[in-house]
Amino acid sequence: MKDYLVFVLKRLMQLAAVVFAGISAAFFITHLSPISPVETIIGRVAGQSSFSPEAIQALRETLTALFGTDLPLHEKYLNFWLRFVVGDLGPSLIAFPTPAMRLVMLALPWTVGLLVTAIVMSWIIGNMLGGLAGYYQNNRFLKAFGVVAMGVQPIPYYIVAFLLVIIFGYFWPVLPISGGFSMNVRPGFTAEFIFSVLHHAILPATSLVIVGMGVSFLGMRALVSNIVTEDYVTYAELAGVKTERVVFFYVIRNAMVPQLTGLAMALGGIFSGTIITEQVFGYPGLGSLLVRAVNGGDTTVVLAVSSMAVIAVATAIFIIDLLHPLLDPRVKVK
Amino acid sequence: MNKWKTLLASVAVVAMMGSAAIAQDAPAELPPITEFPREQTLIVHNPEPPAINPDWFNLWVAGAGGGMSNGLHQLMMDTLWYIDPDAGLDGALYNSLAAEPWEYNEDFTQMTVRLREGIYWSDGVEFTAEDVVYTVEAQAANPAFNWGATFAQQVESVEAVDDYTVVFNLARPNSRFHAVFSVRWNGAWIMPKHVFEQFDDPMESDFNPPVGLGPYTLHSYDPNGAWYIWEKREDWERTTVAAYGEPGPQYIIYRSIPAIDSRLIEMVNGNLDMIHDLTPEAMFSLVEQDETARGWFPGFPHAHPDPTLPMVIFNHQNELFQDRRVRWALALMLDARQISMASYRGAATLSAIAVPPTGTHPDDYHGPLQEWLEGFELDTGSQTITPYDPTIGLQVADMVRPQFGDAVPTDEDAIRRAFGFGWWGQNLEAAAELLEDAGFTRQGNDWYTPDGDRFGFTITTFESGVMNRFGTMAAQQWSQAGVQVTAETTPQMFAQDLPLATYDAATAWQIETWGGDPDLSFFLESWQSSYVAAEGERQPQRNWARWQHEELDRIIEEVRVTEFGTQENLELGYDFVRLMVEEMPVIPMMSFNVFAAYSERYWTGFPTAEENPYANIVTNWANSRYIFTQLEPAQ
Repeated sequence: MKDYLVFVLKRLMQLAAVVFAGISAAFFITHLSPISPVETIIGRVAGQSSFSPEAIQALRETLTALFGTDLPLHEKYLNFWLRFVVGDLGPSLIAFPTPAMRLVMLALPWTVGLLVTAIVMSWIIGNMLGGLAGYYQNNRFLKAFGVVAMGVQPIPYYIVAFLLVIIFGYFWPVLPISGGFSMNVRPGFTAEFIFSVLHHAILPATSLVIVGMGVSFLGMRALVSNIVTEDYVTYAELAGVKTERVVFFYVIRNAMVPQLTGLAMALGGIFSGTIITEQVFGYPGLGSLLVRAVNGGDTTVVLAVSSMAVIAVATAIFIIDLLHPLLDPRVKVK
Repeated sequence: MNKWKTLLASVAVVAMMGSAAIAQDAPAELPPITEFPREQTLIVHNPEPPAINPDWFNLWVAGAGGGMSNGLHQLMMDTLWYIDPDAGLDGALYNSLAAEPWEYNEDFTQMTVRLREGIYWSDGVEFTAEDVVYTVEAQAANPAFNWGATFAQQVESVEAVDDYTVVFNLARPNSRFHAVFSVRWNGAWIMPKHVFEQFDDPMESDFNPPVGLGPYTLHSYDPNGAWYIWEKREDWERTTVAAYGEPGPQYIIYRSIPAIDSRLIEMVNGNLDMIHDLTPEAMFSLVEQDETARGWFPGFPHAHPDPTLPMVIFNHQNELFQDRRVRWALALMLDARQISMASYRGAATLSAIAVPPTGTHPDDYHGPLQEWLEGFELDTGSQTITPYDPTIGLQVADMVRPQFGDAVPTDEDAIRRAFGFGWWGQNLEAAAELLEDAGFTRQGNDWYTPDGDRFGFTITTFESGVMNRFGTMAAQQWSQAGVQVTAETTPQMFAQDLPLATYDAATAWQIETWGGDPDLSFFLESWQSSYVAAEGERQPQRNWARWQHEELDRIIEEVRVTEFGTQENLELGYDFVRLMVEEMPVIPMMSFNVFAAYSERYWTGFPTAEENPYANIVTNWANSRYIFTQLEPAQ
């Protein structure tokens, strides 16, 4: 137990170091961008109407002072960490003076909801079918599914998404192709709203599941194909252990460890959002916010999103590291 | 195992539903919406992506992230005048909150405005001169407002003489001060004093719910910023649009739909009445599949020509482009017909002159200047040529006719208005003579500068779309003519590349006009040579080419002291056009054609190019509010 606690402590320190290094890297990379939020706003304002060059220059000076974009980098870095430790990342620069975290929190639940659902569903279906396909290698249905999975795998995601839009929005228009819920539904914890959210999520979630499922399926099938040749599996079969028990507890369970790591990594990565899904289906989420922040030079929002992503991925890996010795008796802590 | 799967799936579904519900923060007082009957509801495409700060309606703050084209500035805002980019309902100039046009004193240091009486804010408070005074003073005190610096620099004082008369005392003579309060795309919107004066810092107010002078009020909106629903005011007669009739739709919904395919599908499915823009290909597909759908023109080229002029912009601080003969040679190497086909699939409205061929400009400029253009002579050093080909538009129409058949007009006047009057005929021989006259030499097909370097440059263009196609086609034509030109794309054309002059040549625009009036001051004022930045410094809008010319300065200075809307002002416009042709500092190509579409399935009365071009159909222009007064439910 003492060894395990030392292991946890070491991993915790690693986690802190990774978070600090990751966020610092995000800070410096973000500030390497040549895009100025001041010029982004000026471009937008000046393009709308007739402004004199003197007025534009005055606006430029005002925004530069407000945003602090002329401060030295080390001063910005220090200010960032001072704000970060108290949980205030400051105002967004493309939605000034609204706090960046407010914008992030507005979009985050949609991304988390969609991606957790899609990732978990594709992971479960992919791994179950992959495990069965690896064990029952002569099953026609599973063989056919394997061919389909391999066929879908190389198709770019946006093609799959557009196909769904065209099929279910145009040829057979039964599903909504844009938005997070219907305009005639009042948001809240009501059956009507929840149904509307689910209805609107069918196409984006299906597109993600179709593409994501293939990865789990192919990985799991390959793992199981190796495991079934192990002596202990053959021995169990010869000993008359029930086939279902062999499949799920002798084979798939042993193949699950690397797949769990993949699941944790995928869940940690959801904070980057799914920009293509959001664009194709007009679905709300973090991806569009992040892209607009990058294109607008909004370092505050970019850092808010990337800090959350760094923390999420590092924490997911940390948890998996802690669980591995508990899940897999072959992993020893020394 | 089944229980395990069921549990995981349930967790996932609950997580999704829960997170979506948590994301919402609907105001408690919002009435439940049951339905929007289509005969009462107009659904409009908002070209903005979903607002990242959807609860923010204070559109006076620069860059606050709230929506603007979501109906806010079309349906709720108002100001003194509108100048329509097309013909207008009763002429292009609308006296909106102003009862009559602007009045200047003799030396343009004072502007007096008489306001309409009986106009009310949407919360029932009467609009008066005090609101106008507040708008100026509140913004002048805070330069982070969009119009703050403009008012601080241009207005010495503003006073309400009585409830319906405002006098602006200007800091210096300015014959175009009224432009600040004249809506082209938008303008300086009037602020409700009684709302904003409650805040110590009006910048901090999100202005939610908004209080406006327009005929609609905010009904509800998507907490994610994808749609906004507006409802007609019961007292719409107490707004300025009432002079043109009652707005038809009871509800107007603005929807952001980022994917072009989805816009098309939504219109075909009857879920969208007006689309801001499509690709040329999507437009052709839409009119083929939906007989109720159409664009500005009844057939090909469909698109609405915006009063913006895409062009090749030369960086005049680059030595390569300082000789007029070189610029003219590059113009004569281009084949406008191929550029039209490549960029717009033939649906471009070409313009040889530096005024977009849109709104009233064909009648103001293109038509009257045809004779001069046809007679314009260019000395190549070896011969004198007349480079203008008045048949280019007709030729493009002939090129697309085999594919689009009857959709292509046959009437010559209609063709000129849709495809352009003419352009410079491609003339590689004359281009070669001009380059040789400028000291360039040719080895094989390759041109060399007088210094012996290979003549080549980069043309910077947009990442995609018609402008990208235009840039790559121009690069290809110059390369075929022996000039080594490479096309490069940028995501930051107007924020970085053009202002910092990090380009050799670019396909973009630096000429935007009122459209409905021949006055050119909208862009021309900023072309004055005193505004040209030194190399390495940032150039203010809009003279990205950094071109300077004595005659140009003379024209600008005369425009400054010439009344808007006079023949004298138009003559100065002619002088500008002639100078631009002679010097060719940029190569004007065509208007910015927007493939805006509308469906007559549920509503009729939209403006059309052929019969009633009373307004721009492009949905994010604030003047589109006048369209709603003309709409009636389809039978």
